[in-house]
Amino acid sequence: MTDLLFLAFAAVTVGAAILAIEARDLVYGAAALGIAFLGVAGLFFLLDAAYVGWFQIAVYIGAVVVLILFTVMLVGPKKGETPLGLKRVSLLAAMLMSLLLGMTGALANATAFPGPDSCGSGCDLSLFSTSLLKNYGVPLEFMSLVMAAAVIGALALSKTDRGQ
Amino acid sequence: MLTSPLFLEIVLFPGLLSIAIIGALLGWLERKVTARVQLRIGPLYASPAGGILQMFADLIKLSFKELFVPENSDAFFFIMAPTTGLVLGAALVGLIPFAPGLQIANIEVGLPAFLAIITLSPTLILLAGWSANSKFPFIGGLRALFQQTAYEIPLWLSALGVIMMAGTMNLGQIVNAQTSGWFILPQALGAFIFLVTSVAEMERLPFDLPEAESEIMMGWQAEYPGVLFLAAQGPGFVKLYAFSALFSVMFLGGFLGPSFLPPLFWMLLKTLLIIVLIMLLRSTFPRVRLDQLLRAGWTTLLTLAIINIGITYILVVGFPTL
Repeated sequence: MTDLLFLAFAAVTVGAAILAIEARDLVYGAAALGIAFLGVAGLFFLLDAAYVGWFQIAVYIGAVVVLILFTVMLVGPKKGETPLGLKRVSLLAAMLMSLLLGMTGALANATAFPGPDSCGSGCDLSLFSTSLLKNYGVPLEFMSLVMAAAVIGALALSKTDRGQ
Repeated sequence: MLTSPLFLEIVLFPGLLSIAIIGALLGWLERKVTARVQLRIGPLYASPAGGILQMFADLIKLSFKELFVPENSDAFFFIMAPTTGLVLGAALVGLIPFAPGLQIANIEVGLPAFLAIITLSPTLILLAGWSANSKFPFIGGLRALFQQTAYEIPLWLSALGVIMMAGTMNLGQIVNAQTSGWFILPQALGAFIFLVTSVAEMERLPFDLPEAESEIMMGWQAEYPGVLFLAAQGPGFVKLYAFSALFSVMFLGGFLGPSFLPPLFWMLLKTLLIIVLIMLLRSTFPRVRLDQLLRAGWTTLLTLAIINIGITYILVVGFPTL
């Protein structure tokens, strides 16, 4: 059952992520990004990390996707028009991305995450908070970098349109 | 399987059937309360008792109207957004403990889960407003989003005070932590912020900027026909029900009360009181402007929420016996 669920969530995440990049309409791309985040949240639930899962939904769909949708709708390209002028930045973006991925990979070794968070069933809130701040402080800060990335991405989207 | 308690809970109470009926009754109650404030009578004819079946009559009327999707609109999001909103609203009610054991989803992180689900609704409103391809709906959708940036952070921070007091995020355990005293007293400031921000979250007057029928003609709902209009209106009432229930769970001791009446009665009574209070706000206050709401959210409410966390810290650490 867990394997099937994992496959389903993984398929949804990867499929929606591909759709997010390839969608011709940016609004659909942003919505697909939201679905991909939902898939990731599902993976968190499977890992018995419900707290992280719910915050994944609240922060990444409730804030990041909305921010991107907002920019796309207000200042983005017209409906059906493909976004332009992002080619030059894409190399930089790829470099930054691989840097980040490498960092998170280095952090996410087997010893960094010893088990499910202590808020699965029978939650001890103070123990959980302490472990979140002491053991997982650095990964937490790296996750918050995504918020900064979203702001920069939204700004970049609005900037490219103004240039034309 | 058809008679298993969980199935009955999901289908009958507190699940889908009761949500639909209560949602419709709240529509009637709102019109009746508003009418009484304005010295009118309100719905009268559609039943033996005070027009109580008015919303069911409206429901039948709306479901017989022609269902069409406007030309040049985005049909997928146009239909998806309100229906998903209904599902999310029903999911909120599933997290509420109505009596000991009478709760569909008893999860450890119930409170963040509730707030995380509610975060999705402005996204849906924005998509709905955008998909209609029309000016007023789009303005309404954008307003919903601006509004969210104003109230979301104070809403979460005010809920944090209750979590600190109870030492748990499980809604049933939050109720049980109030046996010696309801949180409305030590958390008075938090309760006030939570009430204000949740009214803003529900997009009700005085914060109904995304709808604002006197400015932008129902805003994001303007293009919705027949049954879809019903689906767009419905989540508002379901959210009102769920938020009032959550308020009574967090601050008014939920199902706790004198034992000569069942816990469910106390829970529903408190919920009803909060619902009527929020409805009275609607007929008492004028609508705020968007910039006023944003300023209030980012300065006053945010500051008060942080002060509240400080007070709660002093209470929890300084007086652990409370």
